[in-house]
Amino acid sequence: MLARRMASTMSASSAALTFELVAKCSTTRARASIMTLPHGPVNLPLFMPVATQASLKGLTPEQLENTGCRLCLNNTYHLGLKPGQEVLDAVGGAHKFQGWNHNILTDSGGFQMVSLLKLATVTEEGVRFLSPHDGTPMLLTPEHSISLQNSIGSDIIMQLDDVLVTTSPDKERMREAMLRSVRWLDRCIAAHKNPDRQNLFCIIQGGLDLEMRRECCAEMVARDTPGIAVGGLSGGEAKDDFCRVVGACTQLLPELKPRYVMGIGYPEDLVVCVALGADMFDCVWPTRTARFGNAITKFGVLNLKREMYAADFGPIEKGCGCPCCRPVEEEGSMGITRAFVHHNAAKETVAAHLLTLHNVWYQLNLMREAREAIIGDRFPAFIRAFFSQLYPDRQSYPSWAVDALRTVGVDLIET
Amino acid sequence: MTNDGQEEPTAMVFEVLKAAIIDGSAARLGRMALAGRRSVDTPNYLAVTSRGVVPHMTPDNVGKHLHSAGVYMALEDFIERPQQYSKRPTPIYDTPTSQGRRPLHSFTAMPPEFMTVLGARRIPAVLSPMGNSNASISIFTSTGYQVLTTKEYQTAVETLRPDIAIPLADLTHGPITPTSKRALRMAERTDEWLKNWFAAEDASADELRQRDVAIFAPVLPVSYSIQWEYLERLSEDLSTRIAGLAVYDPDVLPDLLSDYANLAALPRLSVSAPTTPHHILRQISLGLDAFILPFVNLVSDAGIAMTFTFPPSPTATPSLLPLGVDLSSPSYKTSLAPPSPGCTCYACTAHHAAYIHHLLAAREMLGWTLLQTHNHAVVAAFFASVRAALAQGEVAFEDAARQFALRYEPEFPAGTGERPRARGYQFKGEAGGEVKPKLNKPAWGKLDGEDGGLGLTRVRAKKEVAPAVAVAAAAAVADKVVESAVEGGGRLETPPCPG
Repeated sequence: MLARRMASTMSASSAALTFELVAKCSTTRARASIMTLPHGPVNLPLFMPVATQASLKGLTPEQLENTGCRLCLNNTYHLGLKPGQEVLDAVGGAHKFQGWNHNILTDSGGFQMVSLLKLATVTEEGVRFLSPHDGTPMLLTPEHSISLQNSIGSDIIMQLDDVLVTTSPDKERMREAMLRSVRWLDRCIAAHKNPDRQNLFCIIQGGLDLEMRRECCAEMVARDTPGIAVGGLSGGEAKDDFCRVVGACTQLLPELKPRYVMGIGYPEDLVVCVALGADMFDCVWPTRTARFGNAITKFGVLNLKREMYAADFGPIEKGCGCPCCRPVEEEGSMGITRAFVHHNAAKETVAAHLLTLHNVWYQLNLMREAREAIIGDRFPAFIRAFFSQLYPDRQSYPSWAVDALRTVGVDLIET
Repeated sequence: MTNDGQEEPTAMVFEVLKAAIIDGSAARLGRMALAGRRSVDTPNYLAVTSRGVVPHMTPDNVGKHLHSAGVYMALEDFIERPQQYSKRPTPIYDTPTSQGRRPLHSFTAMPPEFMTVLGARRIPAVLSPMGNSNASISIFTSTGYQVLTTKEYQTAVETLRPDIAIPLADLTHGPITPTSKRALRMAERTDEWLKNWFAAEDASADELRQRDVAIFAPVLPVSYSIQWEYLERLSEDLSTRIAGLAVYDPDVLPDLLSDYANLAALPRLSVSAPTTPHHILRQISLGLDAFILPFVNLVSDAGIAMTFTFPPSPTATPSLLPLGVDLSSPSYKTSLAPPSPGCTCYACTAHHAAYIHHLLAAREMLGWTLLQTHNHAVVAAFFASVRAALAQGEVAFEDAARQFALRYEPEFPAGTGERPRARGYQFKGEAGGEVKPKLNKPAWGKLDGEDGGLGLTRVRAKKEVAPAVAVAAAAAVADKVVESAVEGGGRLETPPCPG
């Protein structure tokens, strides 16, 4: 079977974003596309590493650029605290501030509500919380969030949403949060000053209730934002529920808009979500786990702090093309061994930087390879190869992944 | 990696290009060449590594942005014996020697153009409670104090094959000047050890790496009159076997040079850890060629961007200029100027002071990476200018050095920002010394003295509450953190922030 290679280019444009669908998998719902933003084009599907405080955990922008990254995240919440809006305005935005000439996406600060919920109260007006700096009460409104993101100048900005943990049993509160997120989207759109150079994405809410999610999809799609995110997930819900929500949402979303599933980062999750029709992902896990001495490889996560790696003079991952692992004869290779990372893990920050570099490369490369597979219409084979490398046998495949992939026509168990 | 051929074990070549002829200056220009490495013009400096890395700089950044002559590494950074695995062979000794790369280079992924200098101890070294014996010294590894015998050290040098090795010297490392009795023993032991070093080398096959590793003989930090017998041996028996001098006290040099002319042609490496460019200039005048400079890393950790140039640019201001600026200062909050105007390093061309200020305030690791890039560039440029002045003649150099002394403050500013998280092993309580005060405020403590349902929360916001108690508790907490890091269970990160 041939991929449904788009005969005539299917694309859609809004003021600051062009979305071009390049190919669709003939089996699953996976898509390959090009999203052109004010700071250049990016290929989807895509993983976006998180530079929380305008810095990707020890990597220079030059090093990040060399991994092939063209779109990374900043956190509005953190940038609002440090350096603060005044500084961002004075400096002229986050790109200039951090010396990054490619695209930036900022979240709204809403996710931080989940983690700060004990201190935060949500009202129709916004989120009230105590400043982590000096304990003074602060109010984050949709208008304030957008104003901050306008100052940041990120290429993609996110609406402020009312985030609940998906596992919350309170259906009424969940529905209230969903409806409030829709109302806040309207306030965000109204407050957004730069629609010509910043793309406001809406965020689908509704917890694990598919009906509520569908209702939210319909409401938000009607508002015609340049891109659409599925939010409120990766908050501890069962993986089956998570996949059901992603699957339900992608089915309802317009084809010619980028779909961003927020907070997703494990390689299995990325591959399954791509099969379910999602395009963009972000997560701090790859960079955070690097600082704990963990390397992500196609054979699973290795904790290089373990004694077994003390005298292992192989590369972090054989066959990997990152600057750490590349064969030492090749241009730009550092010739890093597992033994060297082990030697410095938790002792010198350089070990963390090296693993961060490797892990970011791994995640970006996984999506690059998925994209090539989609274009070549071998994505189901790609999925099978991916899982067979990750797990010793089919019996140990996670059932949530097997079930989710069955819904899009890929059976990992039967061949 | 350009070196795919076998590195030929050839002698290090040092030539003096221009030596001072005026009184009161022994400054000179030279060139050091080692097979497979970038040839190095002297005076020059070596960056100090910690556990084989230039702190905060990954090897690719070292290759691109570091312009030192090479790096200094300490064997004690590599040979710890973790308690659970005390029987395991030391991993670094098993480093494969593929592509003819030297094991020390290979293990540490050091770019091939940089020369490596190996010594037993970090510079500066932590004072050990045990002291040295007749055939061993006491070292401080990440898992604690350990004994290093002269024999093990020599084997390590032969196995790891640094470009340059400094044989063991009997040093006290303490702040107190050793008594004359102790000083005499230092000289005797070092003499004995160096004699045995070359005797052992002879015992092994002759053709085997006779000059594979250049040996820089230690010149001790004791008065000339106490170590003259040892220096005489260097001059009479060993002058053809040693490739250079590792000078622990530059003030011994004038006497040494006047008495032993045959040692004058050797390169002189300063291992006395000068703390400012003023000290460096004085030592250059005394005739030192290369410098191991731990202060560069410390200044970066303090959030200081160096701003000095040599010779100082003529300005009208009558007051002294600072050697560096404290980027933690709020005045840099929105400064789009480079950390040091006119500097051409990566940090100054791609970034601005406001960003580094933010990174320091947010304790993002990149802040120190950029400062390292910049400060090492400033020091490299300083040495390049010193060489340029020397090329004009030592009068020009001594003039410029005098201007420098008059123009710049004597010390670097202290730096008000927080330091990077100390990994412990290099700061732990020293024998006989008091516990060092913690540089950083504790990151975590209890909210209002109780676990307010949130687990631990940052104490930064409430540091004014009961400072005495908080400091005492914080010191205890910090000690625990340090210990867990030492045992390999430590983490580089504070617990995850929200988001």
